[in-house]
Amino acid sequence: MDRIPILKFGNALLVTIQVDMHDRLATALEEDLTSKIVEFGAKGVLIDISALEIVDSFIGRMLDNIAAVSRILDADTVVVGMRPAVAITLVELGLSLTGVKTALNVERGMALIHARLKTSDSDDDDEE
Amino acid sequence: MENLLQTIVDTEAEIAIIDITGVPTVDTLTAQHLLKTVAAARLMGADCIISGIRPQIAQTMVHLGVELNVVSKATLADALSVALERTGRAVIKLKKAAAVADQNRTPAEKGQ
Amino acid sequence: MTTKSERLEIRSSDDVVRVRQLARTMALAAGLSLVDQTKIITAASELARNTLDYGGGGFVLAELVEGVGRRGLRLTFEDKGPGIGDVDAALKDGFTTGKGMGLGLGGARRLSNEFSIHSKPGEGTKVVIARWK
Repeated sequence: MDRIPILKFGNALLVTIQVDMHDRLATALEEDLTSKIVEFGAKGVLIDISALEIVDSFIGRMLDNIAAVSRILDADTVVVGMRPAVAITLVELGLSLTGVKTALNVERGMALIHARLKTSDSDDDDEE
Repeated sequence: MENLLQTIVDTEAEIAIIDITGVPTVDTLTAQHLLKTVAAARLMGADCIISGIRPQIAQTMVHLGVELNVVSKATLADALSVALERTGRAVIKLKKAAAVADQNRTPAEKGQ
Repeated sequence: MTTKSERLEIRSSDDVVRVRQLARTMALAAGLSLVDQTKIITAASELARNTLDYGGGGFVLAELVEGVGRRGLRLTFEDKGPGIGDVDAALKDGFTTGKGMGLGLGGARRLSNEFSIHSKPGEGTKVVIARWK
């Protein structure tokens, strides 16, 4: 079965979803991301959904799950590139995705992850 | 709503200021529409600031039970100020700008 | 007056993807705007999943409708599953008997111009949604 590739980008993981995922693929992605966060000690997960024309409640739940699991594993999740039509539809559907941070594109998403990492790093320095 | 969201994409805006100064009254439908627009913009990674909320509108929304959990400012100028601060920008005084321009001119241009 | 219709069996999660594809093709043919296309395809995805997860499988009938002065897409989801006891409760957000988010029915209704549901315990469920241009 095809699996969605996960790229390592510094201490972050980058996923670009470009296909209309069937449920098994979405579940596999959740599992793969979880194990990779642990394997690489990743501090950030960036999910690029700019190619997705449809995000339904199943995918929404997947994004929420990934964000929740990442948080437990001390990593931030940022979802980037949501299309306007998708955003409007998700709001109407009632999916708030409150546990998920968002950014306009990959560049901004990475900046967000690094900004948060900087803050926690400087906190550690103060304690020494 | 679609126009605002598409413009956010096209301009890569981090913040959208929605000015409702010209809106006389806000009913439930309008308030809900406003909230949906803010929620959609957030999902796309942009923050919203509402400006031009008059006391009457603020009261109406409270009575309607609408919870507008987004930063709201009374004037467009205040909203712009917050937006600039948030994005690490500032507007410098005109006098300073003129002085800098003057420094860059050659003696000939200055009429000496 | 229906000008084109297509029926698709919903027996697996791969079929849910097929339902989205069918909805997209028909929505384009109906000339719906991008946002309206997105709304009905998403609603179709929710209902198809409901048919699969709660109805034990069923089918969808997609109809391109060109009536008196209006054009649109109508989707009918039917299953011979256990049926819904309290339809009103099922339409409320957050209601779920499974692991979902409970947004399927209410969400599909909000995303459509027309929505109707017929369901009785032991008689299966039929949900019809439509989006007009």
